[in-house]
Amino acid sequence: MNESKSQDEKTVPFYPDHVAREAKVALGFAIVLIIIGIIGLFNPVGLEQPADPMVTPAHVKSEWYFLFLYQLLKIIPQSILGIEGKVIGVLIPVIGIVLLTLWPFIDRKPDTTPKDGRKRLIIASVLLVIITILTIWGGVS
Amino acid sequence: MKIISRRTLLFSIITAALVALFFTTSADAAAPSPNDISTSTETFLDDSPPPPNRDSCLHCHIKGEESGVWTPLSRWIVFGTAGLIFAFGVVRSISAWKTRSPWKPLVARTAEWVDERYKISGPLSKVLKKPIPEWQRRWWYCLGGLTAFLFIVQAITGVMLAFYYKPTPEAAYASIQFIETEVRFGSAIRAIHHWAANGMVLMVVAHMVRVFVTGAFRKPRELNWVSGVVLFIVTLGFGFTGYLLPWDQRAYWATTVGTEIAGSIPVIGELALLYLRVGWNITSLTLSRFFALHVLVFPAVIIGMMGLHFIMVRRQGIHKPL
Repeated sequence: MNESKSQDEKTVPFYPDHVAREAKVALGFAIVLIIIGIIGLFNPVGLEQPADPMVTPAHVKSEWYFLFLYQLLKIIPQSILGIEGKVIGVLIPVIGIVLLTLWPFIDRKPDTTPKDGRKRLIIASVLLVIITILTIWGGVS
Repeated sequence: MKIISRRTLLFSIITAALVALFFTTSADAAAPSPNDISTSTETFLDDSPPPPNRDSCLHCHIKGEESGVWTPLSRWIVFGTAGLIFAFGVVRSISAWKTRSPWKPLVARTAEWVDERYKISGPLSKVLKKPIPEWQRRWWYCLGGLTAFLFIVQAITGVMLAFYYKPTPEAAYASIQFIETEVRFGSAIRAIHHWAANGMVLMVVAHMVRVFVTGAFRKPRELNWVSGVVLFIVTLGFGFTGYLLPWDQRAYWATTVGTEIAGSIPVIGELALLYLRVGWNITSLTLSRFFALHVLVFPAVIIGMMGLHFIMVRRQGIHKPL
């Protein structure tokens, strides 16, 4: 315990040690981006047909990071407890954003055991899994 | 008491020697030679060939039998003085070289020049030398930094694309085609902008999950979390507005769907829809608005917020989980 603590307390200066470390990771990303660019030279992102308000395509989809919201709206029942389903489907992300913003003021009790962190990990994983499922569902449907 | 300085003395000696030299030689040249009778001044002015070299008495000259000022003694004085000055210069140069200040590269001297005027090396080194604990050497602590890196990539490639992009419904599609086919590396730049945008959304979410799981949002870092949520929303806003800009079918209908979702929010929905579309339909006004949001408003907001975010991180350090 004591030994690991002393290992933990060890520090390196921000510049140049830490910056160099971060730069290596960033360099890896930069290489990936350059590879994407080289692929893009021969295989461009491309365009669909020019926008035409008169012609609705068969599969209208939003960007993948809004796809779960879109799918949520599609699968939500017509009415829940007398409220229109669509309204609830839209309110969920709005409430989600408000909750996300105010989360530090709601969850204020500091951690006492490492298990508290694991609880939040489970919450986050469940949410991410739900979002992933909805996104994939929206993508294939 | 020093009446004349050493430098002035040396200078006047050299000047006097040179003046004496000038007068002797010029007087010699101007005086008509007595032993040459055939060449008079009149014939000299004609187009006759130049007079032959006069046979000057070289050995008289060397032996010092000459009657001018340019005697061996004067030569010894003049050249001797010059030699002494040269030797003095050599000695001075050696001592100057020996006592020189250590050589510094241009970069270091420039840095010193700036620091002498603005005194920034103190606070800057305080910022740069801040100790970073070793426990932060885990991969999940670099997600935020990578988001910032991807933002820089987006800014650079975005500016490159904006050089060629035309935000009108008539020209937008064609300008993207122009970027992809005509502009050198245009398709590569667009591909990087496209995929780095997706990567940035992923990285923001990953960073947010990391902060959430480690509990770093708690006191005293509440406002940093709030600024992070703003950055998250702005990133999504970047994606949403950027998606319309190519003005193809996918862009048009994705924006239609997206603004419809915003429009079905109770109470403020209709206003949001009208604000986003600038009217009931997606028109050239929508494109102009999305373009302005994408290249002017959101960059300003995100840079300001990132600044705040980083300053707060610096102030408080990274939260250490249990």
